[in-house]
Amino acid sequence: MADLIQLLTNGLALGSIYALTAIGFVIVYSATGVVNFAAGQFVMVGTFAGVATLVNAGWPMPVGYIGALVVMALFGALFYLIVYLPLRASPIVTVIIGTVAIGITIQNMALLTFGSWPFPVPSPFDGMMIDLGGTVISAHAIAVVIATGVLILLLWLLMHRTAIGIAMRAVAQDVKVARLMGLRVQWLLAFTWILAAVMAGIAGLMLGPMWFADVNMGDPIALKAFAATVIGGFGSLPGAIAGGFFVGLAEVLGASYVSSAYKDLIAFGVMILFLLFRPQGIFGEKIQDRG
Amino acid sequence: MLACRDLTVAYGDIVALRGVDLAVNAGETVALIGANGAGKTTLLQTISGLNKVRSGEMLFKDEPLGPRSSAERVRMGIAHAPEGRRIFPGLTVQENLIVATAAWRRLGKSCEAELGQVFDLFPRLKERRHQLGWSLSGGEQQMLAIGRALMSRPKFLLLDEPSLGLAPRLAEEVYDRVGRISKTGLTILVVEQNTVLALAVANRGYVLETGRVVLAGSADELRRSDRVREAYLGR
Repeated sequence: MADLIQLLTNGLALGSIYALTAIGFVIVYSATGVVNFAAGQFVMVGTFAGVATLVNAGWPMPVGYIGALVVMALFGALFYLIVYLPLRASPIVTVIIGTVAIGITIQNMALLTFGSWPFPVPSPFDGMMIDLGGTVISAHAIAVVIATGVLILLLWLLMHRTAIGIAMRAVAQDVKVARLMGLRVQWLLAFTWILAAVMAGIAGLMLGPMWFADVNMGDPIALKAFAATVIGGFGSLPGAIAGGFFVGLAEVLGASYVSSAYKDLIAFGVMILFLLFRPQGIFGEKIQDRG
Repeated sequence: MLACRDLTVAYGDIVALRGVDLAVNAGETVALIGANGAGKTTLLQTISGLNKVRSGEMLFKDEPLGPRSSAERVRMGIAHAPEGRRIFPGLTVQENLIVATAAWRRLGKSCEAELGQVFDLFPRLKERRHQLGWSLSGGEQQMLAIGRALMSRPKFLLLDEPSLGLAPRLAEEVYDRVGRISKTGLTILVVEQNTVLALAVANRGYVLETGRVVLAGSADELRRSDRVREAYLGR
């Protein structure tokens, strides 16, 4: 029982990272139709932005985090300008392959800059444990889960209670009519990329202390986040969240109760079963009539 | 308000509009009638900046529209209720309406007055304000499409086939509202296959056939013309 609480906490914390990555995936996909295969590298860049501000520059915690997120916002804007904008008129497959190419480029740029040796990343909760009468759980893991919950709430408020969020949803649903209604579509798409990058950045900053900062960390994250979106329902935000937590829990519980060698089998096995028997995922397509 | 001079629009090699001359004066309601494929929708989309002009020019309030984007044209006062209604299916009725205020609304500004006007015109939308767009009936969707266009504080309203796919009673209800909007002094250009309904609200009309204006005149003249009676009124 004590073990289980510990495992559940760690599973939810890891699931938070996958969920945030999957959210970035989904908001970009639903607004632009682009499956961003560089999404995992976005998280890696987030972690290393934290390394740069907190470790290399030695900035204090709040300033370092804010600095890293500003870097991520710029990164998102740059990605929009350099990758998405020049390719947006091309067939969607070209854009997707473009994201693969740029993902590899980003990974190798990180390798050149930071080297292949993994870095430890500090957390404001370093070494802090919460004692639940016999069970000890990591304060960082709890903080990650809470922060993710708050972020999801903020994202929901943004999408449903602010003009820019409602406009983003309109663009995702019918871009031509969004133009007819006077929405500045290009600005909204830029904002979408920035938002996705910042979400990935927060995921990266929270993941850093759980793993190490490693230039190859992006690929496994992207694969798990992809599995999460397939399981939850491609294009669905609640699906991305549910799928993310499912994959995180499956990985941690699987590693402990089955075998750490097969920990990925559960998540990807479930993804394959969903693709075979319920390709629309848990949440499916809620909108029945698209025109 | 709007003037098209010798306007030609093409999709690749297919010419959709050939040398169209058309004018809409301030305060008028003008009907654009014609069969399927005559180029009516193309003309409205061109006015809204969705299609490129091949030759000729378009003036809005005596200013050439040139290569302005759709978003800029909405800011100049051109609103468009597109063919097939095209409301945002995953947005609520109220969100569909709010989206269209992007042209003028600054951060923190309220659009309650505009919402109130639309709800006065279409009380059914007020009842359904929190329902998602796709769950509305065809008639309600059409009312939402018109209401949404009105939210941008337009000076010139483009309506594309507002009666399409509606039962006759609903189509009449929609046109009753179009008539009311027209009486407020808003300039309207309405594209319609249902010639009877369109000419009932319009001051003037144009008949479009295979991309050309073949007939123009007052609503009465068009109703009396043999060509319109045979081809579009079925008498």
